[in-house]
Amino acid sequence: MKTNPPLKKAAAAPAPKTRSLNLVTAVNEALDLALAADERVMILGEDVGRNGGVFRATDGLWKKYGDERVVDTPLAEIGIVGGAIGLAVAGMRPIAEIQFDGFMPAVFDQVVCHLGRIRSRSRGKLSVPMVLRAPHGGLIHAPEHHSESPEAYFCHTPGIKVVIPSTPYDAKGLLLAAVESPDPVVFFEPKLLYRSAVGEVPSGHYTVPIGKARIVQEGNDLTILTWGAMTVTSQKAAKKLAEEDGASIEIVDLRTLSPVDLETVLASIFKTGRCVIAHEAPNSGSWAAELSALIAERAFLKLLSPVMRVGGWDIRMPLFRLEQYYIPDADRVVMAARKALNF
Amino acid sequence: MPLKTVATLDVKRLEILSPDGAVDESLMPKVKDELLLKMYRMMRQIRSFDERAILLQRSGRLGTYPMITGQEATQCVPPLALKPSDWAVPTYRGGGVYFARGMQMRYALLYWAGDDRGTHFPDGNRDMMFSIPVGTHLTQVMGLAWAEKLKKKGGVAMTYCGDGTSSKGDLHEALTFAGQFKLPAIYIIENNGWAISVPRSRQAASETLAQKAWGYGVAGIQVDGNDPLAVYKAAADAVARARGGDGPTLIECETYRMSHHTTADDATRYRSDKAVESWRRKDPIVRMKKFLVERKLWSEAKEKALAVETKKWIDEEVAAYESFPPPNPLDMFANNYEHATWPLVEQRAQLEELLKFKGGAKILTELPPAEGRFP
Repeated sequence: MKTNPPLKKAAAAPAPKTRSLNLVTAVNEALDLALAADERVMILGEDVGRNGGVFRATDGLWKKYGDERVVDTPLAEIGIVGGAIGLAVAGMRPIAEIQFDGFMPAVFDQVVCHLGRIRSRSRGKLSVPMVLRAPHGGLIHAPEHHSESPEAYFCHTPGIKVVIPSTPYDAKGLLLAAVESPDPVVFFEPKLLYRSAVGEVPSGHYTVPIGKARIVQEGNDLTILTWGAMTVTSQKAAKKLAEEDGASIEIVDLRTLSPVDLETVLASIFKTGRCVIAHEAPNSGSWAAELSALIAERAFLKLLSPVMRVGGWDIRMPLFRLEQYYIPDADRVVMAARKALNF
Repeated sequence: MPLKTVATLDVKRLEILSPDGAVDESLMPKVKDELLLKMYRMMRQIRSFDERAILLQRSGRLGTYPMITGQEATQCVPPLALKPSDWAVPTYRGGGVYFARGMQMRYALLYWAGDDRGTHFPDGNRDMMFSIPVGTHLTQVMGLAWAEKLKKKGGVAMTYCGDGTSSKGDLHEALTFAGQFKLPAIYIIENNGWAISVPRSRQAASETLAQKAWGYGVAGIQVDGNDPLAVYKAAADAVARARGGDGPTLIECETYRMSHHTTADDATRYRSDKAVESWRRKDPIVRMKKFLVERKLWSEAKEKALAVETKKWIDEEVAAYESFPPPNPLDMFANNYEHATWPLVEQRAQLEELLKFKGGAKILTELPPAEGRFP
């Protein structure tokens, strides 16, 4: 018996309308569609029910789908994630929410020792089709431990996929793809963009494929590889570089961090020969480090300058008065790009 | 064979001062009038401080702030049973604990304004920063208590967690060790009824949180957390037991979060005003005032004088908080290691370069001097 038959998909609306939505509303819409499509889908987490989530990502869903499908759990992250793993193995399609990135280390035991290993350990008999959602990143003047960028820890863990959208369109399409994924997906949502990123979103069901990057803008002189809220920062930097240096910048928003869309990344590097990787996490041991290793291994002779990483410093995330000096801003991306361009 | 009862729970609840000011003299702790007055003054002052902090936040002069109102007895009173040389570790909603430990509240404001200079404890105290990932300090406090036991000087460690946090595995492991090694630890569950929007009823299905203690061979008691006398007696008894080598105690203080979770929360989305109103009648400050007036220890004249003094104190703390110069960004690199590692030396130079890029060379001379030790 197959424990986990594929997810039922919502019938595509006859003529999907597009509306202008912010990112958190797009997330909410994806969750709503997933809950409506298949009765096995459920949401569990802290404050996700009556309160609709601290960022309102689950707003209205508790009322619509009831207390068994949108569940305010006791305050216990290991319970949420371990429980979601069990639910998924036994045939449910849980979407677990960890309220803040800084509360994710609590669930490492479950993620590292189990989430990505159950399919392999059971010789393919069992699978864990669950989504682990969490807000990501800083710059919203949040309290301590509420502005972290822990993606590298998860990307380092085999057996799971790691996704981070930067537009409302991608947020909805990738989240629906994550819920339908037969394997566990860690789904980061850049909290800076929850309300500030606004874009056209179709009303019905659609998916954005996991494992495919997005070319934000095309260019010939230098590639900026980025993800999450840094995509927006990179766009500002590219504008400045175009205006002040006449440089033509290509921006690749990875969207999926693991598995990375190497084809798109390498195609861009082959074209430009120069690369800056911009992200919020501390540089050492970061996902930017992995990307630069991949580029060094596979595009060495095409490079015109060393790959530059622009990330947080190798210190803890400071309290918010100094966060703008910790998380790279457009100036830091510009400085790194100039070093690469003038190498 | 018939089933035998091998263990029973006898969970007691301690109440001494009723909401209308009546006292159960048989349970009254032996404390000096001076201490009773200190309890009242502290609760009154921290309530006013809380009100001012909310105003500061609402007018954009403070970041997200977690309110204390309603929980003054649970927070201000237990630390009064400690010596400065004992350990105290509150939760993030622990302004009253820090205040009772003698912290200058300008630093609390600084912390909630997003400034790392805000974790400034009085010298000589053994306090530790609260943990924002809730409950992660509970095992550490077990370790603090463990060290005190090994040092054999009678030191104890007191800590807090919320009703929500009592659901986390951290408390289980902390109490398992504390019970096993008979550590001089006092664990206070500050049960304020709410973990953001999730009510106490959605945490453990047990009747009380105090009864968790029995699972670990730890002494446990439930206390009316809005009754300063009961809170004091429970804390003082637990401290005496810990100092005397009789091991840890878990105290559930049943109180109520009268305000939102923080200034970033809107409690009207998930709870009714009715429950809040019913708790208003149990206000620890009102209760303590009735008691003190009854005992002729307090008067309206003294109340007025305290109000004036409190306003002056808060004005001074706010002024001191607002007169801190902006933090120097380079300070981020201080205190990360005893001796800074090469990536930090290099990256600090990169940040200097960035600051010059942003503001020209003069920006570095305009910045306040870096305070932290580097390298």
